[in-house]
Amino acid sequence: MAATGKVKRSKDMPQGVERLKEEHRKVVKDCRSQIEHWKKVENDYESLQDRLRTLPDKLSYDIMVPFGPLAFMPGKLVHTNELTVLLGDNWFAKCSAKQADALVEHRKKHVKNALDDLQKVMKNFQNRADFTDDLKKLTGDTGDFVDIREEVINQEEVSKGKHRLAHKPNSKPKLEYLLELEEDKEKKDDDEERKTGVLSEEELWARLDELEREEELQDERYRLDSTDTNGEDTTSSSEEEKEADGGSDVQVNGHQKENGWVPSSITSQMNGTNGSHPEDEEEEDCDEKAGNGLPTIYFSHTVEYKKVRINTGKNTTLKFSERNEQKAQTKRKKKSGKTNGHSPHESYKITSPADIYRVFVDLVNGEPIPRKSILKSRSRENSVCSDTSESSTADFEERRAAFGRSWSHDDATHSDTSDGITEEESPTGTSPRTNGRFEAFTGTVIEKDPLPCSIPHLTIAPPALPTIPERKLEESFGFADGRKKMLM
Amino acid sequence: MAEAIQKKLQSELEKYQQLQKDVNKSMSARQKLEAQLTENNIVKEELGLLDSQNTVYKLIGPVLVKQDLDEAKATVSKRLDYINGEIQCYETLLKEMERKSEQHREVLSSLQQEYQRAQGQAVGKA
Repeated sequence: MAATGKVKRSKDMPQGVERLKEEHRKVVKDCRSQIEHWKKVENDYESLQDRLRTLPDKLSYDIMVPFGPLAFMPGKLVHTNELTVLLGDNWFAKCSAKQADALVEHRKKHVKNALDDLQKVMKNFQNRADFTDDLKKLTGDTGDFVDIREEVINQEEVSKGKHRLAHKPNSKPKLEYLLELEEDKEKKDDDEERKTGVLSEEELWARLDELEREEELQDERYRLDSTDTNGEDTTSSSEEEKEADGGSDVQVNGHQKENGWVPSSITSQMNGTNGSHPEDEEEEDCDEKAGNGLPTIYFSHTVEYKKVRINTGKNTTLKFSERNEQKAQTKRKKKSGKTNGHSPHESYKITSPADIYRVFVDLVNGEPIPRKSILKSRSRENSVCSDTSESSTADFEERRAAFGRSWSHDDATHSDTSDGITEEESPTGTSPRTNGRFEAFTGTVIEKDPLPCSIPHLTIAPPALPTIPERKLEESFGFADGRKKMLM
Repeated sequence: MAEAIQKKLQSELEKYQQLQKDVNKSMSARQKLEAQLTENNIVKEELGLLDSQNTVYKLIGPVLVKQDLDEAKATVSKRLDYINGEIQCYETLLKEMERKSEQHREVLSSLQQEYQRAQGQAVGKA
């Protein structure tokens, strides 16, 4: 029985559509006949009005008066201006020809309204009939419609990385940051501790990166889902609508059950099944007849990266694009193996400023470690802080100038693309220039003077976390401040 | 077993058909009332177009009885209200009947399923 049910379904669809079309056509025909009727009425009223206008011209007319059903006799029509008008519902009124004319005019208005309504209904049903025609073409035969399918193989591919936690105040990631921040704050003025602090910084930046990526992917998924659900909704609702219209009487049932008195429960089932019918049918088509049904295009989805425009404080808008993902990838690679010996090879092809960061790496202890931005450094030795503790103030001046220059360069790079992301992970674009002078250059910490420090933070730190909501901005602020304090 | 179900099915079917007829009757009565409603509305409007100089008659049987214009207007208004009330009654009645017919339909479908199952079993046995 189940088998027969299934077989029925694939045939039911065209039958159902046929039935629907029939019903539509019936309604349209009814509308047409009614429209004709009302048009006739209108014409009658028109001729009546003409008669009323000419009637009072003469005092009396010689006419042939009907005498019973079969005879006429000559007579006169008198009192040509006095008319007894039937108002409806057995009410009569005596009035003059002109008053009668007014009454007729009033009635014609009603007739016109009825005509308009009927026209609308007819058009409506005509559209629906056309739509069912299209639907038939779509699901059944060839036509210009092509089914585009996308097979999602593995969920993992869509959602790279972990699922994002809800962004509530007490969600875990933030707690982590808070803890680490506190740790950072607690440690002070100790090289080793600073080193560990630096590592935790790195972790933090890494974590921020990850979350950002996850957010983008999440947004993408939402977008996809929403568009999917929208499409489904409209199609299902349109299906149901058609069913409702086609089946104004209980009898409509594409399934053709034996008993004509099909309960509405079954029709509701049918709606559901009809909703899934196109898919069923297409699948069955694909199964049963190899490609004989609807021509299908198989579509594979590549993850698009969200492009975001961010206003970063001082009139700079940055764009996040694929480079994010690239950076993320490189970062992942870095994390997996600290030595990124491939980086010069793979990234000599510089297509974006981020690539610059990747190309120009620090060589520390023989290992190419990608440079962070000028704001951060991998090891505290290279920080200006430690420099001040070790080196002279003369260097400080140079550094400051260099910082200014590198700062402007940084500005340029930032206005180009982005980001704090680049700062975090890869060698900064400033590095080639500053490399000659200083080992590593964290422009931030022109320590004693808080102002230059604050400026870079204000403009650079926010871009660090563009896609992540405001909270993170604060975090970064707090974080940067924490670092500042540490270094000082 | 199958025959018993069949008999039940038949009786239910008859009841359902009766109910449907009642529904149809009420529907047609309501439609008539609606037509009267529109007609009386037109009469009211047209009476408004007239003035007291015209004499208004009411047809009662074969007789045209003279009426006062204001009286006529009042009468027509009262009739309109009456018709509206009637329509309301019929609406509620129809809803009731719809509900009952729904119930019947469900019963019928379940019975039908049972019957088919029973038939299947009978075939199996045989």
